[in-house]
Order: sequence, then C-alpha cells, then structure tokens
Amino acid sequence: MTPAARWTGLAALLALWQGLALAGGGWPLAGPLEVAGWLWSNPGLTGRAVAVTLANAAWGFVLGNAAALGLAVIAALWPRAQNLVAGLALVVFCLPLIATGPILRVLMGPGDGPQIVLAALAVYYTTLIPMLAGLRAIPSAWLDLVQSYGRGRWAELAHVRARASLPYLLAGLQISAPAAILGAMVGEFTGAERGLGVLTIRFTRDLDIAALWSMAVVAAGLSIAVYAAIGWAGRRALPGAPPVILAPPRLIRGSPARRLADTALLTAAALTLWWAGVELLDLNPFLAKRPPDVAAAFFGSPDTRAALLDAAAKTLALAVPGYLAGLALGAGLAVLLSLRPGLAGLTVPLAVALRSIPIVTTAPLIVLLLGRGAAGTVTLVAVMVFFPTFVACQQGLRQAPGPILDLFRSHASGPWRQMLHVRIPAMLPALFASARMSVPAAILAATVAEWLATGRGLGNLMALSASVSDYTMLWLAMVAVTLISATIYGGIAWAERRVLSVMAPEQVRP
Amino acid sequence: MDKPGPPASIECTGLSRLFDGSILAVDGIDITFAAGRTTALLGPSGCGKSTLLRLIAGLEEPTTGQVRIAGEPPAALCRQGGLSIAFQDPCLLPWLTVARNVALGRKLARQAPDPQGVDQIINLVGLGGFQNARPASLSGGMRQRAAIARALITRPRVLLLDEPFGALDALTRRQLAQDLPPLWQDQAATTLLVTHSVDEAVMLAHRIVILSPRPARVVADIAVPLPQPRNPESPAFRRIVGEVLAQLARGGEMAQSLAAQ
Repeated sequence: MTPAARWTGLAALLALWQGLALAGGGWPLAGPLEVAGWLWSNPGLTGRAVAVTLANAAWGFVLGNAAALGLAVIAALWPRAQNLVAGLALVVFCLPLIATGPILRVLMGPGDGPQIVLAALAVYYTTLIPMLAGLRAIPSAWLDLVQSYGRGRWAELAHVRARASLPYLLAGLQISAPAAILGAMVGEFTGAERGLGVLTIRFTRDLDIAALWSMAVVAAGLSIAVYAAIGWAGRRALPGAPPVILAPPRLIRGSPARRLADTALLTAAALTLWWAGVELLDLNPFLAKRPPDVAAAFFGSPDTRAALLDAAAKTLALAVPGYLAGLALGAGLAVLLSLRPGLAGLTVPLAVALRSIPIVTTAPLIVLLLGRGAAGTVTLVAVMVFFPTFVACQQGLRQAPGPILDLFRSHASGPWRQMLHVRIPAMLPALFASARMSVPAAILAATVAEWLATGRGLGNLMALSASVSDYTMLWLAMVAVTLISATIYGGIAWAERRVLSVMAPEQVRP
Repeated sequence: MDKPGPPASIECTGLSRLFDGSILAVDGIDITFAAGRTTALLGPSGCGKSTLLRLIAGLEEPTTGQVRIAGEPPAALCRQGGLSIAFQDPCLLPWLTVARNVALGRKLARQAPDPQGVDQIINLVGLGGFQNARPASLSGGMRQRAAIARALITRPRVLLLDEPFGALDALTRRQLAQDLPPLWQDQAATTLLVTHSVDEAVMLAHRIVILSPRPARVVADIAVPLPQPRNPESPAFRRIVGEVLAQLARGGEMAQSLAAQ
C-alpha cells in the first residue's frame, strides 16, 4: 500500500468522523475539529497528564519486561520449569486489574506505585509468551552442535538461543508498549492524583464530551506512536520479516494424569506464592487477605457467596456474548477480506494500528455512546476481542499451504471452495490462539465497563467493595475472576486440542 | 596452537538403541575404529547409521552397551573439545559471518581465539575471500565447506561427518570429495563418515563398514587399500565399488529373510 493511499484512507476516516459528529443529533460525539480545538486551548493540562502517564508506563514497561525476560531465561535453562512458569504467568495475567488496582492503592499509598505495578502486570505476559516461543524456535541441530562440544544450557543460551530470540523479543516489546499505557491508565483510574486516566475519570463525571474525546484520542495516539516507534526501531535493528506470534508455545504435553498433576502443582504453587508473599511482605491482614480468609468467606457466609455468584452470572451474561461476537466478527471479516482482497489494502494497516489502542481506556466513551445498558458492555468486549482476532486470522489465512491451493486451482475450484477446504482449516490454529489469549482481555473489558458505567456485575462488586473497605469481598472477587478466566482459557485449550487434532494434526505436537 | 591431543580410537561394545520402547535402531554392534583412520558407514536410508554416529558423539544415550573413545565415555572427549561433528544441515548461525561461524567452533570448545588459524582453514576449504559473507549469501556447497571448516578448526581427535554432502548436487559432491582428503590427512583425526554414496565412501575412506537395514548390524567390513589421491575411473576403484554394491545388496536380502522369519 502506498503512503498516498494510506493518507487518503486516514483523511476519509477523519471526514467520516467529523460528518458523524456534525450529524449526530443527541449523540455524545465530538469530531476531530472539536478535539483539536480542545487540545489547542488546554496544552498545559494535556501535556502534564501525558508526561505523567508516559513516565509511569515507561517504568512499568521496563520492570514488566525485565521480569518477563528473567522468567523466560529460567524456562530456557530449566525446561521442566516451563509449564509452571507459563501457568503462573497466566494466573497473574488473569488477575483483574480493577481489584489489584485498589488493593495496590491502599497498600502503596497515593503515589505512582500502583500505576507502575499495573503497567508492569499488563506488559509482562505479552513479552514472556513470544520469548518462550523464541527461545525454543531453534533447529534442533544447533543444539546438537553445542552439545557435541560438551557444552550445556548456558552455552546454548549465550551462543544460540539469546540471539535467535531477538526478533521475538522485539515483537513482544512492540505489543507490550501500548499495554503499558493501558496498565498505567487503569492504575490512574483507581484513585491517582495525576495523569490521563485521572482526567478521563474527571471528564466522565463532568460529561465534558469534547474533553473526553480528546483524552481518548491522546491515549490512542500515544499507543499507536509507541507501537510504531518500536516497530520502526526493530526493523532498523533486525532486517527481515518479524515472526508471527499467535500464542504461547504449547505446554510440554503428557497424559491426562500428567496434565492433572500439572494443574494441581500450579494451583499449589499459586496459593503458596500468594500466602508466602503476603506473609513475607508482612502486609496488614485487614487489607491483604490470606487464602483461608477467602475460603472462609466463600464457604462460611451464604450471603457473600450469593452476592458473588450473582455478580459473576451478570458479568458472564454480557462478557460471553461480547466475546463470541468479537471472535465471529474478527474471523468473519478476515475471511471476507481474503475473498475480496481489494478491500484489504485499506483496512489491514488500519486494523493493525487500532489493535494497538488500549480499548479499555476508551471504555467511558463507548459506554457514553451506547448507554448504560447491556449494549455498551457487549460492544466494548466485542471490540476488545475483535482486533487481535482479526489480525491473527488474517495471518492464519495466509498460512494456507501453496501447493494445496495450486491443487485446488488445477481442479478449477473457485475461491469459496478453496476458502472452505484449505484456508479456513489453515486459519483455525490462529483463531483458537486468539480465542485463548482474548479471555483475560474480555473479562477486563467487561469488568471495567461495569465499574465505570453500568454499576452491576463483578466489576461493580469489586469497585463497591473497595470503596466500603470490604477487603474480604474484594479478594474473593479477585480470586473468582482469576478462576473464571483461567477456567475458560483451559476449556478453550481443550476444545483447541480436540479440533486441531482432526483439522490440523501437524499443529498438535505429540 | 593448542591441540586436544592425538587421534583417539573408538570402541563400541554391544551397542543398542531402542526408540519409544519398540523401534530398534541399532542392534548389538561391536566394532572398533582405529585411531587416525577414516571409516565410511554405508547402508540404506533409515538404517540407523546416523543413530550410531549420534551414540558415538554422546548426543544419544545407548539403551545397552557402551561407547569408549580413548578408553573414556564420549562426554569426556566432548568436554575437552576433542570431538567435532558436521551434519547434513550445515547448521551455520545466520547472524554470524563465515569467519565468526568458524571461530564459534573454537569458542564452544573453550579454545583460545585464533584469527589466523580461522583465516587459514577458510582458505584451505576453498572459501578464501568469503570470510565476511553471511550464510544466506552462500551456495549450499559453500555453506557445507564452512561447516567443515568449523569442524576442523578445533583440531579434533574425532571427526564425525553425518552425510555432510547429502543435500548437495552431484557435481558439488564430487568436487568436495576431491578437495577434502588432503585436508583431513593433514589433521589425522579418527574420522567417521556416514554416507549413501558408494563412490564417496570409496573415494574418502580407509575402510568401509556396511550396515543392514534397520536395525543396524554390521554386514561387511571392507578395506580400501588405495593411495590418495584416488581416481574414480581406475579399475581398482571400480572393483571395490562393485564389491561394496554386492555387499549392500546382500545386506538387504539378509534383512528380508530375517523379516520373513
């Protein structure tokens, strides 16, 4: 695609947006001109908030990625630890930022600490997963070569794996840069004093439409800018196509009994880390609950249990349809564009750019647009799931093996037939990978919408518990959200194994 | 130049390797490879030749039996940097130049850097002028030459070549087979060459060991008493080639009759 076409597309989009804003009678829309005008008249306010948010995001980016690198190196040096490292990383990634935010806030005080920790939590997983893949994406002969000189895992790491994983590291860093801004902003939602997130909350309360749109535009612009900057630096440093990373490398597989043992070990390790961490840091028992406190609250008090289950049901009732709609739209649009390649030239760069926008930070806006009913939440979840699924499915469709397509063409099979029999099966691994990775994101989107706007479900329960200092309920809700995310993730992984073992057996390693 | 030592003899006793508990790749091989000699291991595809080589390199553990190199387990020689292996895939690291790929051999063997030696060996394998080229810009034959240079740079006591010419075209193979004998005569390492090509085996080896289809057993052991350089058109050369082909056929029949039982 030529730069000219890209700028034309962008201009058309801006014109469409401005047109909608002008025509949107009664809708809380602000067009690009109003946004530009607001930003022009509030340069100091915006500039200070951007500086604070960027600084927090940068600290989180550095700390989170350092942790991810450390964990990836541990998994490379001790392959037996990989299942546990990846599993614990997933559990931590499933922690709802809305609950960890307020807890960190009361533990760390009003400074920048919680924003930085949340930014670090938001980035480490998106770097760890490509690194785990990159450190293993090596021809086995290279490892034989190192071993034939009588050298061990450290030499493998130093001479082969480290350099071979660099493209994967860059791909991970690129995805994690917008995620750091998302984490910092969610941290600022939870009662910080400065930053874009604080302004967003304030303008939502004031219903200052132009200001709110300006905040969303600034957050989106920052995200696209850091995403593009790291991509540019990566292309400069490492010529050659970046690797396509869709999902964590499949865990080292075993019998059902082995998997059960792995799950048990993971649960035990997660509980131990939680309990030991709270004890070792000597955290206030009123704020930082231990596993027995949470278990006692759930099993001991029917009221608490009923409130929790009711909230979970309400959240899932909106999150699941939104999640499924996002998957269907993402995969559907990818298939459609593959059949009409003319359209793809314009939409693909746009989708890649939009994928990098932290949708959650625009939550107040989407809910404002679509109302406080179910539609707003479902849409937010769907949008959150849509972009990564769309991009992944497009890459998946391109994985269709050329010789098989040639075979179909030689039998004069049309594009629909090729799509049904070759391309869609080739896309399935990417779709499943995206479906798995989108689970925590979908739950995050649903709970943020509930918290900021709709006032129901788990998001509201967590926010309410935090505001009335009911920390038992807050911890209970945090455990519940984590369990829900991890369970759905596991369920999709199970379905993935069943489907791919039939449709794409080469993808399911023995 | 630091040298790990004189060529080492290799002794395999009762060597077997079972894969997945049921597939027998190597079955009770007893064989000794004399120090400083070049032996070709010939046999049909998938007969377990490569497994035998990997067992000797210590890359696989034997199910039963043992390998001793100069009286010690292979790992001991590996740790001293005394063993080099070249695979069918040249296995060059794409981000390193030819010179640095060759130097990697010394690094992995924990030998001191030797830029002059690296330069010398690159010229010797016929890659002079390509020291700073990256593997992606080389032809298949040139990459294989670089891989062989990396194997030779450590002055190994044991040199294992696992079909290093397998992926090359016939012309390049013949050229390499002609270029290499002077190189490893100079090195005098104990060399094992796994190959499919009878001509290559007769061209390069002092001794040819013919293995049966899987599981690998020794079918025949043929000496090649020809002086280097060898002429592949000479009657003596052709006679040995004929003998090797006959033994290969016999090995196939033996395996078939065993399977029939």
